[in-house]
Amino acid sequence: MNLLAVLGFAVFERVGAGSFKLRGPAPGWLPVGPLERTFPFLEVFLPDAEEFWAAAQGYATLQSDLWTQDDRHFGATAVAGEQKFLIIERAGARFEQTQRVVQYAHEVSLARDQIAKLSRELERATEAKSEFLARMSHEIRTPLNALLGMAELLAETPLNDEQSRYVRIFRRAGDNLLTVINDVLDLSKVEAGQIELESIDFDLTEVLTEALEIAGVRARAKGLEIASRVEPVVPLRLNGDPGRLRQILLNLLGNATKFTEHGEIAVLVKQDGPGTLHFAVSDTGIGIPPDRLSSIFDNFSQADASTARRYGGTGLGLSISKRFVELMGGKIWAESAPGAGTTIHFTARLPAAESAAATPGPGVAPAPAISPLRILLADDSEENRFLIRGYLKESGSVIDEVENGAQAVERFERDNYDLVLMDSEMPVLDGYSATQQMRAFEKEHARARAPIFSLTAHALREARERSLAAGCTEHLTKPIKKAALLDAICRHAGAPQRTEVAVESWLQPVVGRYLENRRADVGKLRAALEAGDYTTIRTLGHQMAGSGGGYGFDPITEIGGALEESALVCDAARIRAAVEDLAIYLSRVQPSPV
Amino acid sequence: MTLKKKICMVGQFAVGKTSLVRRFVDQIYDDRYLATVGVKIDRKDISVGSSPLILMLWDLAGEDDLEQLKVSHLRGASGYIVVADGCRAASLAKAFELQKRIAEQVGELPFVLALNKADLREQWEIQAVPASGPGWTVFETSAKTGAGVQEMFAALAEKLLA
Repeated sequence: MNLLAVLGFAVFERVGAGSFKLRGPAPGWLPVGPLERTFPFLEVFLPDAEEFWAAAQGYATLQSDLWTQDDRHFGATAVAGEQKFLIIERAGARFEQTQRVVQYAHEVSLARDQIAKLSRELERATEAKSEFLARMSHEIRTPLNALLGMAELLAETPLNDEQSRYVRIFRRAGDNLLTVINDVLDLSKVEAGQIELESIDFDLTEVLTEALEIAGVRARAKGLEIASRVEPVVPLRLNGDPGRLRQILLNLLGNATKFTEHGEIAVLVKQDGPGTLHFAVSDTGIGIPPDRLSSIFDNFSQADASTARRYGGTGLGLSISKRFVELMGGKIWAESAPGAGTTIHFTARLPAAESAAATPGPGVAPAPAISPLRILLADDSEENRFLIRGYLKESGSVIDEVENGAQAVERFERDNYDLVLMDSEMPVLDGYSATQQMRAFEKEHARARAPIFSLTAHALREARERSLAAGCTEHLTKPIKKAALLDAICRHAGAPQRTEVAVESWLQPVVGRYLENRRADVGKLRAALEAGDYTTIRTLGHQMAGSGGGYGFDPITEIGGALEESALVCDAARIRAAVEDLAIYLSRVQPSPV
Repeated sequence: MTLKKKICMVGQFAVGKTSLVRRFVDQIYDDRYLATVGVKIDRKDISVGSSPLILMLWDLAGEDDLEQLKVSHLRGASGYIVVADGCRAASLAKAFELQKRIAEQVGELPFVLALNKADLREQWEIQAVPASGPGWTVFETSAKTGAGVQEMFAALAEKLLA
């Protein structure tokens, strides 16, 4: 029994219900007094123990929960057998260890809560960052759009040499600024995991040629040779993201040109295992010191601080290239020695395309000519409206301008348009909602879907998705280039609806002449309007009113009537509108045999 | 003989049940977090009006994913205190859940809700406690500064004698 005392046990024999007798020596820690008074916890344990003693067969034990009192830990055990015992045990190190384990588990739980909370906060912060970037890019791109557009228009006007030079510099500086903004956006998109690579079939030679052409302009201006070589085993039809590949090549070629004064720049493409290509862009330029070779791919890093001053650039190009290469499942590295030129190598997973058939690429055609259209232009910025009008001047299109989405919807429902150009952010009603309303109206009135282009300064992918989801046909990102706008118009609204008019066969030869003459009238009418010669307008209008319907061209009669009437009251605005209507009608009318 | 009442402290882990008892019984606060294993029993003699009262405070291990509150420990209790941590909204949800479980399994007993850690008020996720039915008495307490602690225990003691 001494052993029990040494171990810290107090052993009681149950002599009757709720009645216990201490067996053996009392441990030093055991206070004198009734058991339940000494250990309040037994109030809870003894009823369970009584049940256990009543039911137990043979030897068995029931252990209580642990409890703490007076800063000491205790446990109780009920023992059943020939005799019934209640053993009270005071904690040794065992309990402290238990406590440590329990505490550790609690702390892990707490930490997990904390991590969940932090990750929610981080998510909110990331959203705020994306929002900030989108906003910033919008704020910078909107005025830049106007600047670049105006420069483009200015370049098309007659200029003397000095003025031309200024405009060139003006445009180049604007383009550079745009590149910087795009780089920052690209980088943050990669960091936010928002860039997904395309996976389409493309021609390697096309991408190489384009990159070399663009980079070649500056290289040749510096007297540098520029060339590329593709090893014969490399498949020319590939599957991947041609846009990003071109961007990487342009970046590397741009750097090579920037840092090379004499010699040549070369691109070599080799096969590097199945489905992987190895590109090497080498130059004969100033080279990179060995200790900087690994850090040039970091953000905002240039070989040395004076580089930025001498050569310009943000130091983002290489780090963006690195991210793209990694997205393409490859790696990028540099080989160089100061004064001996630099070679940047990169690999990329670009498997051969499954379909061998080459589709003709869009090429670098000059801005296409488009036929005159009736266009609704909604933009709250006067500069942007002026710019678009300028871009479309030569097409002879009629453009109705409105300043917000609500006005746009109203005009759209009233008139038929060949095309709607819709700024996405406008007061009163934004472009997305206006587009939705227009689409709903078309559906309700069984009207054909007019092409609607959204014009936004948001370059982020979501902006595009949002536009298309709202029902837009095309999404153009500001700054909008003339060629891009005309290209899109060609694709979606290129052929205005032909108005077929049935003409008796014997009238056919005459009808051609008749329409020819009316087309000539358009010029005469414009000149007369310019000169304020209302008499001529009245006469021409009168003739049209009397003749058009006879050939089946009722609108010509209508327009003629309007011209005659408005010339009588010298209503120049109405005359201008009627002349434009006439021009458009004439561009569409198609006499067809009965 | 002086009246003796058993009061249980329940709530999510680390809301401050042990610290509240410690502050109330010994006027001490210790910044270290020490998880309670099993049950911790303390005694506090108080008086309500002119009558003395012994409170047996049963501080039950906090509930988390690993540990479930043993409702059997509330056997013989006269009332209980549900404790939540103002900095953790989840602990208030847990408090509501525990109260419901106790009411179902033990029956309607007087209780109060202690929103603890009032000294960290500016970090609180809980801005207001929704009225959860009659019988809810809410105290903002701080085991660290002692604010609201005496009042909270006294209010429960009065409910026990009412």
